[in-house]
Amino acid sequence: MPRVGRMENAIIETSGLTKQYGNGVLAVDSLGMSVRRGEVYGFLGPNGAGKTTALRMLVGLIRPTSGSARVVGRAPGDPGGLGKIGSLIEAPGFYPYLSGRENLEVVADLGGADRERVEAVLDIVELTARAERKFGAYSTGMKQRLGVAAALLKDPELLILDEPTNGLDPQGMVEMRKLIKELGRGERTVLLSTHLLGEVEQICDRVGVIRQGKLITESTVEELQGDEGVLIRAEPADRARDLLVRIFGPEAVSRQDNSLLLKTDPAHSLDINRRLMAEGIGVSELRPFKRSLEDVFFRLTGERQGS
Amino acid sequence: MTGAVKAEWRKNTRRPAFLVVAGLVAGITVLTYAIDYYQALHPTAGEVAQGIAPLLKLELSPAQFVNNIIGAVFPLGAAMAIVLGALAMGSEYSWATLKTMLTQRPGRLTALAGRLIAFQAWMLVLTVLLFGLAAASSIVIALMGGLGVEWPSLIDVARGVGAAWLVLALYGTFGMALGVVFRQAAVALGAGLIYLVILQEIVTRFIGAVNGGQYQGVTRWFDGPNVQSLIESFTSTAFRPSAPPAVTPVQAATVICAYLVVCTVALAVIMKRRDVA
Repeated sequence: MPRVGRMENAIIETSGLTKQYGNGVLAVDSLGMSVRRGEVYGFLGPNGAGKTTALRMLVGLIRPTSGSARVVGRAPGDPGGLGKIGSLIEAPGFYPYLSGRENLEVVADLGGADRERVEAVLDIVELTARAERKFGAYSTGMKQRLGVAAALLKDPELLILDEPTNGLDPQGMVEMRKLIKELGRGERTVLLSTHLLGEVEQICDRVGVIRQGKLITESTVEELQGDEGVLIRAEPADRARDLLVRIFGPEAVSRQDNSLLLKTDPAHSLDINRRLMAEGIGVSELRPFKRSLEDVFFRLTGERQGS
Repeated sequence: MTGAVKAEWRKNTRRPAFLVVAGLVAGITVLTYAIDYYQALHPTAGEVAQGIAPLLKLELSPAQFVNNIIGAVFPLGAAMAIVLGALAMGSEYSWATLKTMLTQRPGRLTALAGRLIAFQAWMLVLTVLLFGLAAASSIVIALMGGLGVEWPSLIDVARGVGAAWLVLALYGTFGMALGVVFRQAAVALGAGLIYLVILQEIVTRFIGAVNGGQYQGVTRWFDGPNVQSLIESFTSTAFRPSAPPAVTPVQAATVICAYLVVCTVALAVIMKRRDVA
C-alpha cells in the first residue's frame, strides 16, 4: 500500500547535483531528486547510470562538482546528519579478521550506538547464530546481511541501501527484499538503489529513474505504469480503430505494434467485443493490458535487453 | 572521539599484523640479548687483544639496557612502524572499510584523530614491550654472569622510552600517510621501506657531495640523520667510540617532532579533502 502523501516533507533534497571526475567523465548530471519522509524510494537505473556516485555524494564520501544536497536537514557528511543515516554503499566493508559481532561493535563505537543494538540488529538480519564467525569466512549473503545490520545500528531515520541484493542467490534475494520491506514500515525512510525492476515493483512507493547521470522521471510506480486498458487485435484494424474512436474518443485509442490499445476499464471487455463483432470486425485478441515497469523503464532509458 | 579511539584500539589489538609485530619485537629483543651474551662469553681473538671483551658483557648489564636497546629502534623498529602504518591505512581502502568508518557519526577528522591516537598508543605498547624485555633480559644476564644489578635512572629510562616512541610514532605516521596517498598497503609499505633503507641514503650522499660538500649542512635536516643522532646520544663512548652525533639531541628531537607534525597534517588534509571512491 503506497504511503505517498502521508508525509510530504523531504528527507533528501538535491538540486543540480553534479559530479564530473578529473578524466572528464560526467557521472551525475544536475540531479534534482526529492525523497519524502517515511517512503521507500527506488533509485532505478541501468548499471553505470550514476546511482552509486549519487549515493556517495549524499553520505559525504565524495564531493559534488556543483549543486547542493540536504540530507536529514544537513549537508552531506555532516556528523549530525550521519548520526541519523544508516547506509550500505556498494559491497559491505568490514574487517576480515574480526567476527561479525566484533565488526558491529567497532561500527557501534564509531557511530555512537549502544552496544545493546548489536544483538538487536544481529537478530533482525538473522545472523545471531553466526555472529562469532570471522567476516572473511562469511558467504556473500551473510556479508550483505551484516552490511544491513551495520546500517541499522543507529536505528536511523534514513536507510540508504545500494543494490543490497547484489550477488545473492534467488532465495537470498527474496529474504533480503522481505527484510527491506519490513524495514520500510513505520516512519523510517528507505532509499533503495537498484537496477532490478522487480525489486522496485515489489518494495517501493515511489521511484526515480536515472540514466547517464540524469534523473529522467520521479513518480509513483503506478503513475509510471500509466492507466489500465484493453489490448485489441482486430481485422480490419482501421475500421476497428474508427469504431473505438467514435465510442471512446480519439485520446483513448492508440496503436501499439499491430494492436490497438484502448484506455478503459478492462471490465468493459465483453461489451467492446460485442460492438466490434456487431460491426463485422474480427477480433483475434482482446485482453486487459497494463504496462510493465520493464516496458516503462526501457522506454525511458532507451535501453532494451538483447536488442 | 572516545568511541573512535575505542573502536580503533579494538581493531589494533585484534589485528594479526599488529600482534605478529609485537611478537617479533619480543622475539628479536630476547634473541639479540642471548646472542650478544654468547658472543661476550666467547670473544674473538681480536676482541680479546683490543681489551674490549669485558665491555661486551658490561654492555648487556641492566645499567646499560636503555643505551643498548635503543639501537633497535632505527632502522629496524622504524621499518616495522612503517609497515604497521601502511597496513593500518592502506588496508582500509582494499577492504572498503574506510567508507564504513566515514559514514558513521564522527566526522572525518574525528575518525582520523581516533585512529592516530590508537595507533600511537600501540607504538607506545611496542616501545614499552621492547624496553621491558630488554630490562628483563639484562637482569637475567646479570644474574647468570655475576654482574652487578644497577639500573639507569628513571629519567634516563623515560628519555629512552620517549625517544624510541617518538621515532616509532614518526615512521608509523609516515607509513599511514603513504597508505592514504597510495590508497593501498602494498605500494605504501614498499615505498616507505625503500625511502628508509635506500632512497634517503642516496639523496643525502648526493647532496653531501655536490660542489665539494657545500650543501652538507642540508643533510642535517633530513629525518634519518636526526633520528640517528638522537639514538647515538644515548650511547656511551665507553662502549662504542665514535664521532659525536651530527646534531644535538635537542635539535634532533625538534626536527623529528616537526616531521611528525608534517606527516599528521598531510594525512589530515588528504583525508579531509579527498573523495572516497
